[in-house]
Amino acid sequence: MRFGPTRLITVGVVILLALAPFLSPLIHVDISIVNEVLLFTLAAMSANLLLGYTGLPPFGNAAFFGLGTYGAGLSIKYFHVNFIEATLLGTAAALLGALVVGPFLVRRRGIYFGLLSIAFGQVFYFIAYRFTDVTGGEDGMNFARPYLGISNFHVTLHGSGFYYLTLVVFVASILAFKLLVESPFGRTLVAIRQNEVRVRYLGLDSNRFVFVAILISATMAGLGGALFGMLNNFAWPLLMDWHQSGDFVLSVILGGSGTIWGPLLGSAIYVIGKDIISSYTNLWQIFIGALFVACVLGFPRGILGSILARFGTAPLSNESEEANWTQSPAIAADHHG
Amino acid sequence: MQTARPGSTIALRLAAIVVGLGALLAIVFLLSKNGQVSTQLFNGLVLGAFYAIVALGLSLIMNLTGTINMAHGSFMTLSGYLAFAMVSRGTNFWFALIVAPLMTVIVGVLVERTLIRPLYQKEPIYSLLLTFGLSLMAEEIYHIIWGANGVPFSPPPSLAGTVGLGFMSFPAFRLFIALVLLLMIAAIALFLTRTRFGLRLRAAVQDSEMIAALGTNTQVLYMVNFALGIFLAGVAGVLAAGLLGLNPTSGNTLLMPAFVTVIIGGMGSLFGSIVGGVLVGLATSLTTLWIPAASEVAMYALMAIVLTIRPRGLFGEEGLFG
Repeated sequence: MRFGPTRLITVGVVILLALAPFLSPLIHVDISIVNEVLLFTLAAMSANLLLGYTGLPPFGNAAFFGLGTYGAGLSIKYFHVNFIEATLLGTAAALLGALVVGPFLVRRRGIYFGLLSIAFGQVFYFIAYRFTDVTGGEDGMNFARPYLGISNFHVTLHGSGFYYLTLVVFVASILAFKLLVESPFGRTLVAIRQNEVRVRYLGLDSNRFVFVAILISATMAGLGGALFGMLNNFAWPLLMDWHQSGDFVLSVILGGSGTIWGPLLGSAIYVIGKDIISSYTNLWQIFIGALFVACVLGFPRGILGSILARFGTAPLSNESEEANWTQSPAIAADHHG
Repeated sequence: MQTARPGSTIALRLAAIVVGLGALLAIVFLLSKNGQVSTQLFNGLVLGAFYAIVALGLSLIMNLTGTINMAHGSFMTLSGYLAFAMVSRGTNFWFALIVAPLMTVIVGVLVERTLIRPLYQKEPIYSLLLTFGLSLMAEEIYHIIWGANGVPFSPPPSLAGTVGLGFMSFPAFRLFIALVLLLMIAAIALFLTRTRFGLRLRAAVQDSEMIAALGTNTQVLYMVNFALGIFLAGVAGVLAAGLLGLNPTSGNTLLMPAFVTVIIGGMGSLFGSIVGGVLVGLATSLTTLWIPAASEVAMYALMAIVLTIRPRGLFGEEGLFG
């Protein structure tokens, strides 16, 4: 078995994550922050599926993340479900949300998709914000962390216990994600990004593929959101705001869109950076804004994307395709009109 | 590729706007016996005019360069604060109304030339993220300079009070705003249809490579177009500051309705932005009257209905923007 850069990254990252409860105190970071990184990454990966693979700017994924959080929180608060049930219900809530808004998004591409996803994501924000009697409105909603609920195993997870559970879910998700994007389905998504017209000529209904991609993306974000809710025992509307979606997209671009591990890297920098900087100054927003600007102008391929490109195993880079587009105006014209 | 749109069609559409707005105002008068409803209708129209102006600026920039300017609201806020700074130092309101937007335009052009320009050749997601980052920074900077709470910015005494029109009386400042916004919409329409530069701009939206090949400096077009969008945002920003209050996020609260406006009106259509703005404004203010809790959701419901019936928006052109 040869160890290429990708395999090295995989092994290194998994070891690092497994040791995180012991390593994080060394840099004065609470394990719950690392836990947050993993859950944030699930949302970023869900954005990556649409952005990096399918080529659609997803600016509403925070709504799915938040639906997961509220789905879990509400079902704990009003139906007293256990941990596993809450996770499943939260994920299902996000999937349901995607089934409702998906048909509106699925026919559009490019910036039109971006605008629609912002707008439809915002609907859920305002529902959580205004439906005060049920959701607690602007103040958010508290709920207790439920029992794990495997047979009679009545135990509530805390600290590292919760972290390792998250890690299991996370590694499973990464694996599923890798299998997904390397499957014929995933390849078709990439093909849609590269040249949708050609995909259609091959007899494939690209809208159907995009719709399924949106559903998968929402499910992943919802899973992350549900666990995130139970990590904080709290749900609040700003979680669904489009600014949050923007942070997910930033994490993807920062780490490297169209790569497996990019979202993790981006999310780690974002979440841990926010934790450290905001303990010194409350001007965090200026830093994050500057990070956006620097990332876009400085390394649009993302950190991991640039590294992989140097090793010759370039990820699905946007740059080279850009060149293709401009070189063949016929295809571009075909695509646009 | 979409077909060229002759100027006469735009003139027709302009006439349609005037007739449509006239009809809406007529409704206001007819319903004026019910003071509450007519007041809300009028407020809705003014609000709609704001949305339309913001959406127009967004559309201008989006149509030509594919940039979704997330910092549009920040430019509005900046203009509002600049006007506030001038007026609070004793400058006259009318002077500030003209100069603050122009100063904002200078900032805007600097940003466009240095930061956004390198991204025109890339996918739109990059300029979107960049302007998003800028808006986050701007919000925090306003916060530092002018504080988190709103600052008082009231219209000049000459625009205080109400104007009676026989049937009902309007707050003078709102009437003034409606007038200014209408004038600006008309001026933009004339500029785009009746000047050589406006024609080039519209031609560049259709095929900027061809326009460049025919000897037009497209970079100048991009710059002026951006400046135009920011100027609209700037004027709207000063007026909104007087009407809706001024705080670090006040411009951004108008951004989301403007996005919805663009979607309802149809991407690529400036006329659509105007109609969409009025519809969104009316929907919002009328829902406030009957179901206050649903006032924000109303425009999204409207958007969902419009998209169900017409997936490209009311006046959007099929094929443009995917």
